[in-house]
Amino acid sequence: MSDFDSELDASGLNCPLPILRAKKAIAALDNGQTLKIIATDPGSVKDFEAFCKQTGNTLLSSGEEDGKFLFMIQKAA
Amino acid sequence: MSTRLPGPQRRDSIVQAASRLFADKGFHGVSIDDIAREVDVSPAILYRHFASKQELYDTVLLELACQRESYVEAVTNSGTSFEDVLAGMTRIYIDSIKQNPDLLRIELQSLLEGSSATRDFFDNRWKSFADYIEFGLNERLPYDLQNREITILSASLMFQGMVREALIQKFLQPHDRLEDVDLDELSHELVRLFLRAVGINKSRISRKAVITA
Repeated sequence: MSDFDSELDASGLNCPLPILRAKKAIAALDNGQTLKIIATDPGSVKDFEAFCKQTGNTLLSSGEEDGKFLFMIQKAA
Repeated sequence: MSTRLPGPQRRDSIVQAASRLFADKGFHGVSIDDIAREVDVSPAILYRHFASKQELYDTVLLELACQRESYVEAVTNSGTSFEDVLAGMTRIYIDSIKQNPDLLRIELQSLLEGSSATRDFFDNRWKSFADYIEFGLNERLPYDLQNREITILSASLMFQGMVREALIQKFLQPHDRLEDVDLDELSHELVRLFLRAVGINKSRISRKAVITA
């Protein structure tokens, strides 16, 4: 995984809590900065794709590691 | 004679027809012959896909119980306040039952039958609300509140019971009183009363939070 500016652990949370927390965490970032998110809800894969599509932020990567879902989102410039 | 369909497509059509019939008449009110007739195939073809009526019923239960709603729009379409997101989630949930009341019918049946799918219905359909309310109230309620844990749990149960009862009245046994009730207004009012009950006195929930179908 590449560098990131902030990290959010949303393990154990169901939609929409991971999305809501990500939205708040992204609001605190500068444009172009990156947020790393860790989640366990399988629905989060589709949810973060939809979230980025709707907000214009970039989903740099989306993957699974040891039963956890990892996402890197770059705040839109 | 029915049209020939590829295996997976035929299986889907059987599950869909079975789902409608089981939702209407329950497990014991439906026979394999009824389902075969509905899909326009012979019982022999149906048995190629499902070994028994029980296996087909379990498949229907699991399929409906694992259907999740996405609440992304409840977050992106409005503010991030506890009340706005809850209002958006509620509207999305109500819409899902409006689109497919069988989700609620089968959930209630599985509850009465003591089926293990009840747990799946909770995990996939209600846990989002339970988590959201319990986390939200945990952050908001004073830490020295008496019986804090049970208060939070009761609030979460109250919300689930309130929404479920409204959905039963509205979609499963249309009642004269509810016939003309607008879904946006119903959803908005349920959330407003809930917020007042848990001591969040915000009289105005952002109208944007109520997502129109």
